Amino acid sequence: MSAWSGDGGRRLGPKDRLLVISVFVILFWAVVYPNLVVLAGSLRGEEGFTLRHYAAFLGTASELRALWSSFWISALTVVFSALIGVPLALLFARYEFPGRRLLGALAAMPVLLPPLVGVIAILFLYGESGIATRVVQDILGLESPPWRLRGSGAILAVHAYSMYVYFYLFTLAGLARLDPAVFEAAASLGAGRFRTFGRVTLPLLTPTLAGAALLTFMTSMASFSAPYVLGGGFRVMTTQIFNSKLQGEIGMAMVETVMLAVVSLLILWPLARWEGAREYVSPGKGSAPLRVPVKSRWAAIGVPTLAGAGVLLLVLPHLTLLLVSLVPDGSWTVQTLPPRYSLENYAQLFAEARTFRPILNSLVMAGGATIIAVVVAIVVGRLVVSWRVPGRRLLEGMLALPWALPGTVLAIALATTFSVNQPWAGRFVMVGTASILVLAYTLRVLPLTGRAALAGFRQLDPSLEEAAASLGAGRWRTLRRIIVPGLLPAIAAGASLAFVTGLGEFVASIVLYTHRTRPISIEILSRLRDFDLGAAAAYGVLLMVLVAGAFGLGQRWIQGERAETG
Amino acid sequence: MQAFLELDHLTRTFAGTPAVHELSLSVGEHEIVTLLGPSGCGKTTTLRMIAGFETPNSGRIVLDGRDVTQLPPQKRGFGMVFQHYALFPHMSVGANVAFGLETAGLTRAQIDERVAHALELVRLPGAGDRSIGSLSGGQQQRVALARALAPQPNVLLLDEPLSNLDAALREQTRRELRTLVKEIGITTVYVTHDQEEAFDLSDRIAVMREGRLEQLGPAEDLYHGPASEFVATFLGRAGAVTGRVDTVDRGGVVTCRLAGGPTWKALAPASGGSLQPGAELRLLARPEALTFADPADEASLCGELRDLRFAGSVYLYTVAVEGGELEVQARADQARLGDVVAVAPRSAPTGLFAFAVGSDGQDS
Repeated sequence: MSAWSGDGGRRLGPKDRLLVISVFVILFWAVVYPNLVVLAGSLRGEEGFTLRHYAAFLGTASELRALWSSFWISALTVVFSALIGVPLALLFARYEFPGRRLLGALAAMPVLLPPLVGVIAILFLYGESGIATRVVQDILGLESPPWRLRGSGAILAVHAYSMYVYFYLFTLAGLARLDPAVFEAAASLGAGRFRTFGRVTLPLLTPTLAGAALLTFMTSMASFSAPYVLGGGFRVMTTQIFNSKLQGEIGMAMVETVMLAVVSLLILWPLARWEGAREYVSPGKGSAPLRVPVKSRWAAIGVPTLAGAGVLLLVLPHLTLLLVSLVPDGSWTVQTLPPRYSLENYAQLFAEARTFRPILNSLVMAGGATIIAVVVAIVVGRLVVSWRVPGRRLLEGMLALPWALPGTVLAIALATTFSVNQPWAGRFVMVGTASILVLAYTLRVLPLTGRAALAGFRQLDPSLEEAAASLGAGRWRTLRRIIVPGLLPAIAAGASLAFVTGLGEFVASIVLYTHRTRPISIEILSRLRDFDLGAAAAYGVLLMVLVAGAFGLGQRWIQGERAETG
Repeated sequence: MQAFLELDHLTRTFAGTPAVHELSLSVGEHEIVTLLGPSGCGKTTTLRMIAGFETPNSGRIVLDGRDVTQLPPQKRGFGMVFQHYALFPHMSVGANVAFGLETAGLTRAQIDERVAHALELVRLPGAGDRSIGSLSGGQQQRVALARALAPQPNVLLLDEPLSNLDAALREQTRRELRTLVKEIGITTVYVTHDQEEAFDLSDRIAVMREGRLEQLGPAEDLYHGPASEFVATFLGRAGAVTGRVDTVDRGGVVTCRLAGGPTWKALAPASGGSLQPGAELRLLARPEALTFADPADEASLCGELRDLRFAGSVYLYTVAVEGGELEVQARADQARLGDVVAVAPRSAPTGLFAFAVGSDGQDS
């Protein structure tokens, strides 16, 4: 047996080998190499190899404090997100009450909000001159705002608000996967509601919850928007890196980048293993009705009211953003609510090339990145799942690596690697062009399309391909007629998620943009700086609409496919 | 019979473990041969090598005088029905059936006609526009068959195609399948682990075990003259007792002195094996070859009645005797559990088989 054919793997011809090698080289160059450049850079000074930068890092109290802050903020974010997301999911999954579907869908709204937009929406609502702040100030007749949205508390609040969705959606999905018969079995064995929850539901959900916790923790470690906008003097690792870069302390920025990357990977490793080790799949046929109608009169009023109030709280930032976007520039000063409304801000977005530029940039760069990431994901999926090439774990790992690395790390790595022209070392000057943003976006969304494509390939019955071959179809026809159509739902889901992520991208953009290549998120930030709140909000709403549109399109595509297959 | 499809010393190893070892087998034109064996015996791997999805490490596959061993599956012109059907879920029934016809350079009208014909063959006329998801399991199975047959393949390969149907449907479908396949006259290789299915469908059965061909022949030959203890117990029921060889005559009849005392005559396998006088043996007996007898009779073997099962028209009794356990088929309820009963052959050596101990490689 050739070394090129694993068990059950296919034999590879010379062309196939060339493809496999190219894929390895390209992925290594784009995903791994820039990080190695940063690692090497962090160990080098004018005198050659040095640990000077690390010594400086470890000897500076503020650096260590930032690292510790990143960690405890993330841990608390997990706790608070779980406390909001899990009960909400249980409420919507277990009880039937009027308005359940609508409220349930609304509760997932924050997922539509790109991180930066979420931050400014909350700023408009609860910030020093935010609407809610003013309302409370008026009611209590206070001289100054009742609170200041600043520092670690503010970051935590924004994190919990934007990341509970992971727990909410994961728990819903986890509950849907469980065999309802286990609950019936527990009931028939005499277990009451609480015993069933404690002994059956919760243990069965642990892998799901671990997954959500992992995602929340990693997202929080990588979070940049909230600490950047709201942190004030409170620093976490991501903002620390950005500031070092801004001040030209490149050596320190690289050390910080390495430290953040290492800490992220160290935490990811055991958690991911634990999550993977315990997966409960229901052997049953799927879901019998799981929801109990609310019976008692108290609950009949209480549950929907509670759910409604909770959801209102969660969509209030969206509404605020919409409200602010309708306020003409300079018309809203000291009033609690804006006195005048118009569509002026929106008209302006499209009126000038200058204001439309960021929209175009975001659409083109996110679109380009999505297409590249989808193609790469399909190729890698095929090599890993269908061909089972040697080194497939490594390929899969490279596809997932950008997920484990905070966006700031990625951005610093790209900015460092592609700021010099050394073609023999695979380094080209890309900084200052749109290409580096497209590369950054591509890397950031690659784990999303990759995961989707791998899942798609794995659920594709391998005998379909064999059936096509036995019916005389060659490789190309099989790919076109059988594999791609079969993958479409998964790819559509991955692609829409990727596009949406690209549209709202901020973390890497802020390191890599130039005026000409600025995306929407950067424009929002600069409008905010100019106190042009209406325009910032209008961009934010537009982003939300684009995101919702992309999601809706992806969903329709998926469902259309399903309807066709019956 | 002239060999149409010939497997010549096929070997396929997975991670050093042979899944199929030196398998040789020829299938005549229009013949239905079943590969039968327990799971893991290599029957599916063999079928997949015939189809071209697995490449043998050594050996050849010859179709009608042409070596096809290195030919990719799409060039072999074999039709295959998969265990889970592998219907293309995003295509209609008609598009599934037409898929194999599209490369053949036929006009649209010809394709439509062939699709309609294939669907009629499997008794699903007019189902062309239906979606795969709207079909029942039995209908899916028939669409899979229509799709495999539509391009008029040289050989039809079936991989446990009935295993996903419920019992009643399975029995009906296998009769229809045989009628259809015989009507078309297509050479067929069928894989199953179900002996009833094999009996019902096949012209010849190839019993496989641990990657090797154990015995090949028509069902009756296998049942009445098993080559090994494995075949005897895998095809049909058989109890076993130990004993020693007394004499072996030229006609292949062995006189066996049983551990429990009496002497019974039994058939030796064609190969004879190491059935030398005085050698240890195991005697296997079909339940219908045994009867209850008078304990005083010298051919009688006495033992305790351990189990009693009602099997429709007959009862099956399990009797523990010295050196083993025998099953006796009888009409009426003749004894109670715990009774001591006497068992004797009905008309030895029919249904009684002697195998040298150790010849089978079986742990017993």
